[in-house]
Amino acid sequence: MKADLLTPFTNAACQTFKLLLDVDALAEAAQGVDGESDQSNRVHVAIGITGDLTGEVLYRFPADTTLEIVKTMSGMEFSEIDEFVTSALGEIANIISGNAVTDLSQMEIVCDILPPEILGDGTQARSNETTYAFTARVNTSIGDIEVLLQLQS
Amino acid sequence: MIWKEKYKIGVPLIDAQHEELFARVTNFVETLRSDKEWDEKVNSVNDTLGFMKDYVVTHFRDEEAYQEEIGYPGLEEHRKTHQDMVSYVGSISEQYEQNGFKEITMQQFAGKLVTWLVNHVVADDQKIADYANQEGK
Repeated sequence: MKADLLTPFTNAACQTFKLLLDVDALAEAAQGVDGESDQSNRVHVAIGITGDLTGEVLYRFPADTTLEIVKTMSGMEFSEIDEFVTSALGEIANIISGNAVTDLSQMEIVCDILPPEILGDGTQARSNETTYAFTARVNTSIGDIEVLLQLQS
Repeated sequence: MIWKEKYKIGVPLIDAQHEELFARVTNFVETLRSDKEWDEKVNSVNDTLGFMKDYVVTHFRDEEAYQEEIGYPGLEEHRKTHQDMVSYVGSISEQYEQNGFKEITMQQFAGKLVTWLVNHVVADDQKIADYANQEGK
């Protein structure tokens, strides 16, 4: 089932939150994408996927959650989403995706990831060639992250 | 950055170096994030960047020597992770000099560095500790 391909990404997100931030996280079950939810006031990080799977994974972080993540890692206060913050968040998405791809390889699905791309506020799903799209929320005490996997056939 | 006891891997030399590395990165980031205008702080940023970069190379070398000493099977993969970071630091430094020391380059670099370092110490380096404990080394 294609929706299962999202599980390594949500599991990796939970593990990364625990390891880097000491924050417990719980992933909801994957579901199909049915219309677009309100994506304002969020930071979006897209990571391209190549190899046995082609497409991208999109992480949607609430702005407040983003600032809390960077504060926890750096020990410093941040009041706005600037270049430091988006770069730190891009690296978090890179770490999550790298771990997910390692997990996929154990299922004999071999993929690479591309460098993270920070997308503007209010970004909607953008791939025109998407055949499969699945989404799941990762619930944490500092806010809920949305993970969206879009794949071409 | 806040150094935590749980980051320790149980090898005094490596733990001391990690703590020093966190201190140098913190010094760099605090200088970079201070309220001063860029013109006023760029020289201090460049100095702290230099101290931090020198120490990264020393630390990576010593950590790889320790892995070799205990026969750590993940050495080559770990060495590649170090090499990739050194290569990234080299290329961003070159870009920074070529673009005339622009602040945005350093802000982007520092955000990635902080995240990378925390992950490297809590994930990659902990695997060395797990192996050493398992093998009784």
